[in-house]
Amino acid sequence: MEGFGRLNRRDFLKICTMVTATMGLPHAFVDRVYAAVKAKQKPTVIWLNFMECTGCTETLLRSSHPPLGRFLLDIVNLEYHETIMAGAGAQAEEALNKAIKTYKGEYILVVEGAVSTKDGGIYCQIGGKPAIKILKEVAKDAKLVIAYGTCATFGGIQAAAPNPTGAVGVSEVIGTSKLINVSGCPPNPYNLLATVAYILTFNRPPELDDYRRPRFAYGRRIHDHCERRPHFDEGRFVESFGDDGHKKGYCLYKVGCKGPVTFANCMTIKFCDIGAWPIGAGHPCLGCTEPYFWDRMTPFYEHLPKVTIPVGEGIIADAEKIGSYAIAGAGIAIGAHAAAGLVKRWVKGKKSSETTIETEEKEG
Amino acid sequence: MKVEPRLYKRVFVWSWALRLFHWTFAFATAALIITGLYIHNPPVTTTWDEFRPSFLMATLRYYHFVAAYFFIAAVILRTYLLFFGNKYERAKDFLPVNRENIQSLWRSLKFYLYITDEHEWRVGHTVLAGVMYSIIFFSALIMIVTGLYLLYPDVTIIKKIGNFFFGTVQMARFIHYLFHWIFIFFVLAHIYIAIWNDFKASEAIISGVFSGSKFLPADVVEKEIKKEAPYI
Repeated sequence: MEGFGRLNRRDFLKICTMVTATMGLPHAFVDRVYAAVKAKQKPTVIWLNFMECTGCTETLLRSSHPPLGRFLLDIVNLEYHETIMAGAGAQAEEALNKAIKTYKGEYILVVEGAVSTKDGGIYCQIGGKPAIKILKEVAKDAKLVIAYGTCATFGGIQAAAPNPTGAVGVSEVIGTSKLINVSGCPPNPYNLLATVAYILTFNRPPELDDYRRPRFAYGRRIHDHCERRPHFDEGRFVESFGDDGHKKGYCLYKVGCKGPVTFANCMTIKFCDIGAWPIGAGHPCLGCTEPYFWDRMTPFYEHLPKVTIPVGEGIIADAEKIGSYAIAGAGIAIGAHAAAGLVKRWVKGKKSSETTIETEEKEG
Repeated sequence: MKVEPRLYKRVFVWSWALRLFHWTFAFATAALIITGLYIHNPPVTTTWDEFRPSFLMATLRYYHFVAAYFFIAAVILRTYLLFFGNKYERAKDFLPVNRENIQSLWRSLKFYLYITDEHEWRVGHTVLAGVMYSIIFFSALIMIVTGLYLLYPDVTIIKKIGNFFFGTVQMARFIHYLFHWIFIFFVLAHIYIAIWNDFKASEAIISGVFSGSKFLPADVVEKEIKKEAPYI
């Protein structure tokens, strides 16, 4: 089994090149990135998992051509990661405490999953300790915190209405001063690697947007770089899944694609080993990198969210239907108003304007 | 019913700037509603087999944006006139901000509901119209901000404003769509009321929006002159 876990030089360079491209840097920077990530002094990483499906870790570990998980293990010193560590129970707890003490103020904390805040955070506990407490303790001495995935950045599905556990993203627990968000469900592993590599290469965090996401990854709109954009401009749309337009690869706008309102680099960097991504595979974008997408981007197969009417209990209606009813209402109101005028005139007889003209004529 | 004999006088009310605003706003709104409805839910799917470009969506989006800039220009012009226009174009004249205007609002409401036959004679807008126009004015501002946020989500200042008021681009898109219904109501109600008014009172308000002049009873005009209106 020797050499099973090793990453060969070719793959290592390949990933360095991909990561440099992700950062939006020219090819000449590959050497610099390579030198930085190959340095003897590896940064320590503590990885915490809270309320989530572990899909974020999976998306990193499951890439095998090239093996991105191996790359990450090669460039950082991963002290604690519940999913892939060998230790368990008290042993694991000890490892975490030891890492915090040994690398105080130097380690990078990666958080995966949302944190429960309701009732003192008792809905997510690890080793009998609420997640919110663990996060506060570990984040206090961290040099930098990376929230990885939509759950950690914005709360994800746990924070969707009615949010029974009071789930929130990392930013709401520890503030945003040393936080970098890498959102997505799951996020693209290259975005995490590029963020780490950027920090190692330039010794400062990358430029961030308003949600503290790296601009190199979340600065562009999916719609503007989509491979199906020509079909959109041409007016060719998929009307329903499996129809003729769908088979021909038309634009997914009418089946609820959120590409026009979603900011990410999925359309250029793509996923997995084969360069697949949702829209390429014929599925509309769900907008998973945007805040609270479970509430705001749903229904996923419709263009716009439904209108929630505050009166009564849970009346939810189609924005379009409400509009058409209101227009019909306006039409009826106009008709009624005109009819009332006619009826009144019929009841009371002719007057006002006509009479005025008659009197004017007499005067003239 | 006894009707007093009345003499009508032609009064110049609406400056060229206000008429320019009105028609720019009207055509821009019409174009925005039509192209916007297509962009929201494109009913026509052009086919692959044509093998020639029609760029239907791209073209209509282009018209939408061009109309949007005219719309913005019109709103800027109207904002200027609210403060620096003639007496009847200023906000103070037609908003229910004083006793006289509130009473006038009440009288126009009664007239519109057929409770009274007394037409509310005013040189400028009626206060009821003023209230409606204010709603449209603020809706227009919301449409402009959401629209710019949708078109330029990367521009720092627009992003900051949009993010502050509406959050994500998806929310802005939702609000942009919901508020467009207000404009459809307004177009329907405005045209109906203008025609209805022409039937009920001999003001000639429809031709007035071309010529800038209204016809008012001589005694109303006398009263207005006594108030030393500068533009009569």
